[in-house]
Parts: sequence; C-alpha cells; structure tokens
Amino acid sequence: MKNKVLMGLAAIVMVAFLSSCGKVPQAQVDATNAAIAAAQTAEAAVYVPAEFTAVQDSMKAINASIEVQKSKLFKKFGPIKLKLDATLALANKVAADAAVKKEEVKKSVEASLAAVKAVIEENKTLITKAPKGKEGAAVLEQIKTEMTTIEASVAEAQGLYDKGSFMDANNKVKAAADRATAINTELKDAIAKVHGKGKPAPAPAAAAKPAAKPAAPAAKPAAKPAAKPAAKPPVKK
Amino acid sequence: MRKVWRDVLIFSAVAVSIPLVILLLIHFTPQPPIGAIEHAREILSTAGINRADTYSKKLYTEAKIFYDSAMVNWKKENKRFIYFRHYDKVAMFAELCAKKAGQASENSVSSSSNLKIQLKEKIESLDDLVIQIDELFTTYPLTSEIRNRISKGKILLKEGEIIYNKGQYFQASRKITDSEYLLTESYENASTNLKNYFKSFSLWKKWVDKTLNESKKSRDYSIIIDKFSRKFFIYLSGSRKYEFEAELGKNWVGDKRVKGDMATPEGMYKVTQKFEGSKTKYYKALLLDYPNEEDKEKFRSEIEHGSLPANAKIGGLIEIHGNGGKGIDWTEGCIALTDKEMDIVFRIVKVGTPVTIIGSMIELKDVVDK
Repeated sequence: MKNKVLMGLAAIVMVAFLSSCGKVPQAQVDATNAAIAAAQTAEAAVYVPAEFTAVQDSMKAINASIEVQKSKLFKKFGPIKLKLDATLALANKVAADAAVKKEEVKKSVEASLAAVKAVIEENKTLITKAPKGKEGAAVLEQIKTEMTTIEASVAEAQGLYDKGSFMDANNKVKAAADRATAINTELKDAIAKVHGKGKPAPAPAAAAKPAAKPAAPAAKPAAKPAAKPAAKPPVKK
Repeated sequence: MRKVWRDVLIFSAVAVSIPLVILLLIHFTPQPPIGAIEHAREILSTAGINRADTYSKKLYTEAKIFYDSAMVNWKKENKRFIYFRHYDKVAMFAELCAKKAGQASENSVSSSSNLKIQLKEKIESLDDLVIQIDELFTTYPLTSEIRNRISKGKILLKEGEIIYNKGQYFQASRKITDSEYLLTESYENASTNLKNYFKSFSLWKKWVDKTLNESKKSRDYSIIIDKFSRKFFIYLSGSRKYEFEAELGKNWVGDKRVKGDMATPEGMYKVTQKFEGSKTKYYKALLLDYPNEEDKEKFRSEIEHGSLPANAKIGGLIEIHGNGGKGIDWTEGCIALTDKEMDIVFRIVKVGTPVTIIGSMIELKDVVDK
C-alpha cells in the first residue's frame, strides 16, 4: 500500500515538474521591448518605417508565441529565446539605421539650406542686372514678391531643422529651392537674351525696350531703349 | 511468487496509466485560438504595410484595439488554472480584429489609390491655374496681399508635389489643399476685380468706334490707348499706322477719380498743348484736356453722393510724354512712351488731335482665351 502511494506521488511530481519546466524569459522580453522603445525614440518610424514595422511585427509574434506556450501543459521557451535574441539585435540595428538615416537627412537639409540661400543671394544680384524693358519691370516686381515668399519658406525650413523635424524641413527647403532655381534660370535667360543681342548688361534703369512695331509698312519707328534715368514725378495728376 | 506477479502487475498498471493520464490531461487542456490570432496578426500587419494607419485610421485603430483585447484576454485566461481557461473571447476578438484589419487594408488601398488620382488631377489643374494667373495678372496691379497669397500658393503647390512624388499622398493632400485655397481664392478675387474693370467695355467700344469714324471722316490722325494691353495706337483715316508700348499710372485699373490717385483716366480727349525742350521734364509732352466736362460732372456727382470726400480735388495735367521704356507702370496718371516713339507722335500729332483712352479694345473672354 505504501508503495502505491509513493508511486502515485512520484507520478504527480513528474507531471508537475514537466508542466513547469519552462519559464517566460521575462528579462529578454523586457530587453527587447526596451530596444524597440529606443528605436522609436530614435524616430525609426519616421526614418526607417518599413524596418521598424518589421520589428514591431516580430515582437507581436513573439508575444503570441509566449502565450501559446503559457497555454500549454508542457511549456517550452527555447525557440522563443532565440527569436527574442534575433529581434533584440534587429531592434538595435533599426535604431542605429534610423540614426544614420536621420543624420543623412540632416546633412541633406543643411546642404539644401546652404544651396538655396546662395541661390537667393545670387537672384538678388541678378534682379539688379535683369532687363526691365517691355513688362520686364512688372515681372521683376512679381519675382521680388516671390523671392520674399521663398525667403519666408526657407526661414520656416530652418525653424523645422532647428526643431529636429528634418524630413519636413527637407520637403520645404526643396520646394523653396525649386522655385528659387526656376527664378534664377528665368533671370539668367533674360540677361543672356540681352547679351545675345550684342548689348552689354543694362543698368537697372536702362531698359531693353523692344522696337515699336509699325502697323503700316510706310512707317519705321525703330525705337531703342530709353537711356535716361527715371523721370521726376509730374506736378499735378 | 504471487507477490512478484502482483508487483509486476501494479508496476505495469502505473507505467501504462501515467502516460495515459498525461495524454488525457493534454487532451482535455483547452486550446487557445492560435490560428485565429496568427491570422489576425498577419492581416493587421498587411493593413499596416498598406498604410491603413493613415488612409483608414478609424478601422485600423479598431482592429488594433481588438488585437490588443485578444492578447489581454489570452494573458488573463492563461493565469487561470489550466482546465478552467476559456478562450472564446480571445477567438472573438481575434476574429473581429481580422475583419476590421481586412476592411482597413482594403479601404486604405482604395483610398490611397483614389487620393493619388485626385491629387494628380488637382496638381495638374493647379499648375494650369498658376499659368493662367501668371498670364493674366503679371502686369495687372493686384494688391500686395493677393500677390503674396499667389506666391505662397505656388510654393505650397511645389511642396505638395515633392511629397506626392514620395508617395505620401495624405501629407501631400494637406499642402495641395492649402495651395488650392490660396490660389483659387486669389484667382477669384483677381478675376472679380478684372470683371469689374471690364464692365465698361460697351462704352469703351462706342468711344473707339466714334474715334475711328472721326478719323475716317477727317482723314486725320487719332490716338487710341488701350490700358489693359498697354498699347498706344495711332490711326490715320481710320487705319492703324503705329503701335507702341505705353506705360501708365501706377494704379491704372479703373477710371481716374481724384487728384493723386495715380490712375490713368478713361475718356475721349483732345491734345490741347505741345511741350518740348525746357517746357517739359519728360523730353516731349502732349497735354490732354483732362478733366473734360464729363469728368467734371462725374467728379461733382461723386462728391454729392459722398463716395469722395468733400475736400477731394479733381486731377489734371494728364499728358502723353517721353521718358518711358521702363517696362513698368510708373507715372502718376500720364501715358509714357520712349523718347524715340515720342518723336514720331510729336511730329504727327497736332493740337486738337483726338486721344481716346479706354480700358480695353478686346472683351474679357477674348483676353482670357488669348
């Protein structure tokens, strides 16, 4: 009888032992979660979104696997530990990649800001050299307004850069650079046209006014640019 | 001997019953919905890849909540004694998650695709609008506020295009919507202004017809100045002989109302005096009979109706003069030509030559078409 009792107890102990031989690798889980949080802090969702999503998905799968094992009578966490190791390494890599990408974007913004500021300065000089004949001055007025807006946009981009929003700053500075470059090309083309005619670059007030067109063949009013400076205002108008 | 057999029998029974019990224990262990959870997670992940967090935010958030609820319930059940666990709620939440995530994914694909098409169309139409604005209003004296808004609209449009090309349609749509608002509103304001300007077109047409008829009858020179196109036409016997670029008052839109408003008047005038040399600051000048009786009457009426202050003064000394060719409307209401053009005009025009100043010789719709 004593033997039977002992054997029964041995069986129960064995079952209890088998059912509790695996424990959740909580330290590894915590470390991996911390690494994912660090990747998030490193703005991995902004700079390496696909990789960050992959890490998150991997962790979700691990959490589910842990619950699967916890649901079992005989638990086995060995493969999960391996997955946790891999995910931890991946999370660390994603954080590092995010930092590298962020630095790249930061450098790109810095370069773009410097470039656009140089173009703006060049445009300011070109404006003074641009021909002002036939609607030219009116176009220049419009260009000046646009330049003011571009400068404001660059200032906004600089503000975003200072705040660390490099992606937004990048988009903004590129738009500003595009407009500034378009104006730069427009101004250079206008100046080149004047030079192409064999004339020197006109002074601001010496406009390249095109020849007046006679409607009848009889008249040939070939008007040349007015060489005089701006007239004084009239007395009464 | 019997005892040995009895022990063997007992040992065998125990040896068989232990695995049997274990198998029974395993068999009767409640099974969690592993497949359902995995399925939900995969669909949720696909929804994430399809940017449902952006394009179908509500459904995606609901799906995430259902997944989290499934996991929370699973954990809760796993804390209970193994044979008291119930995974029905876990399965239910996993199923709901899969359903919502699937919808979110589908919606997201469809929304982003539609948004992409809509944005492409919008960008194209706004690019066209920018071209139209530039063509119509580059030399039109819009207020600086409108000009600033147009400029901001253009740069926002470019920013939107850059973000669009990165495939970030939702973010691009914000920029493009802001740009659309600025550009459309500015265009409408400017267009209203332009339409108001062209309201007098039928009157201008009458003046032009009358001027040309008179030129035909008298077989003499007449001048017509089209303010909108900034053209200075000289007719002889009703036929156009010369066409020059004219520069006008800084605030040339609309008729001149009061002294100092920088507007170039509209009306039928005549040359009253010719100046050259030291008699003018502008190389050569032709004084017009502005204000004529009609202008004076209109001015008096405006004073009476209070649309002008009682102390307002009517303008005068409107001339056609030289020193032009600046490419900008810079005068205080006069019409400026280049000195070379002024030489021609001065030579053929005499005191009494009709000078008709109008807003435009062509209708607004033709201006727009052009």
